[in-house]
Amino acid sequence: MSAQNSTAQTADPRVRQPEAVVGLSRSEEDIIKVLWDVTGNDAFSLKAPRRIEGVVDSDKLHDFAFLIWSRVGFQHLSAISCVDWLAEGEFELIYHFWSYRDSCLVSAKTRISRDSALIATVSDIWQPASFFERDVHEMFGVVFEGNSDLEKYILTDWDGPPPMRKDFVTRDFAHNHFHFRDYEPDWDELVKGGYHSNRGEGGTDV
Amino acid sequence: MKKTITQRSAWDKVLTNLQKRSLWMLHYCTGCGAVELPPTMTARFDMERFGIMPMVTPRQADILLITGYLSVKTLKRVVLIYEQMQSPKYVVGFGSCTINGGMYWNSYATIKSLDRYIPVEFYLAGCMPRPEAIIEGFTELIDRIDRGKANSWEDYYKNYEFYRKNQEHVFGIINTGNDIPDDAKYFKIGEAKK
Repeated sequence: MSAQNSTAQTADPRVRQPEAVVGLSRSEEDIIKVLWDVTGNDAFSLKAPRRIEGVVDSDKLHDFAFLIWSRVGFQHLSAISCVDWLAEGEFELIYHFWSYRDSCLVSAKTRISRDSALIATVSDIWQPASFFERDVHEMFGVVFEGNSDLEKYILTDWDGPPPMRKDFVTRDFAHNHFHFRDYEPDWDELVKGGYHSNRGEGGTDV
Repeated sequence: MKKTITQRSAWDKVLTNLQKRSLWMLHYCTGCGAVELPPTMTARFDMERFGIMPMVTPRQADILLITGYLSVKTLKRVVLIYEQMQSPKYVVGFGSCTINGGMYWNSYATIKSLDRYIPVEFYLAGCMPRPEAIIEGFTELIDRIDRGKANSWEDYYKNYEFYRKNQEHVFGIINTGNDIPDDAKYFKIGEAKK
């Protein structure tokens, strides 16, 4: 990984537009072939028109992301999505790369263990990826190595387990954590005298 | 049970008579309920004929309209807004989400019953309540103010401990910058405990 980082510094493609970014749009077969040539990964195939999909090893993902950004021409990281495969004990991270030149989406899938959910960050290549990673970290508990800002993002007051994990039962949590209104058949009698709350006998939430 | 009839002074009657016709509303549009408000406010149903106008700041508003579900994060903001409003103030729960969670009843992130956290004057049932229902609710509110019965806001001072405990249960301790027990002394309401 460090070798790739040093390449990034010497080539400095952030300033100069890489050759792969400009030019005529390519066919899907060409893109798959270029992916194979550049990254050495032949697992990519066509899933739908202008949608390419494939599997990448989790330890090679950062290198793959750097190559697809600098030398294949996929300059945009659309999203990082996560799937929890509970039975297999794995998280599947899907990185969606977009090429403005080809109007084509490449989805790179990678699997990591559920117990030690750890993967290298890509926020050094795409700065906005930091937010995607924060989101995935918050909802699934995946740790992105090298991302220094994995603070709470949306669930600012949350102290439970990551809520999008499959073994988190949201209904049980809601029933234990929040107060539900009791069914009051004579509610119209209760509200007649003015203000009425469901305070009960002064008790508070669990 | 012995019924007590509180005598309202002439000044109170004048006051409520003026108050009921100049209600300014702060609408906290968290959910999808906000779509029913533009027709209610504008020419079709014209809320202003009842003297109800949208207002931009909590300090100048009388009605706080919560239109939809409240997540724990937004509830914190609602409590801050509610405490900033000047009494008397009326909270209107709008739609099923504020009553019992609505379609988010099993969500880990949304509260299920708004009146555990702030006192609610009345609820508008439905998903969504149509502008007719909103107008119906507001005319009821006007009527209650006229009769001196719209007193839900006093409950926050009377049972501050209860509301604060429930708030802290869902989002922890916050400093709202308001001294509620001190305000209760100003309004001469009960024995508000800290």
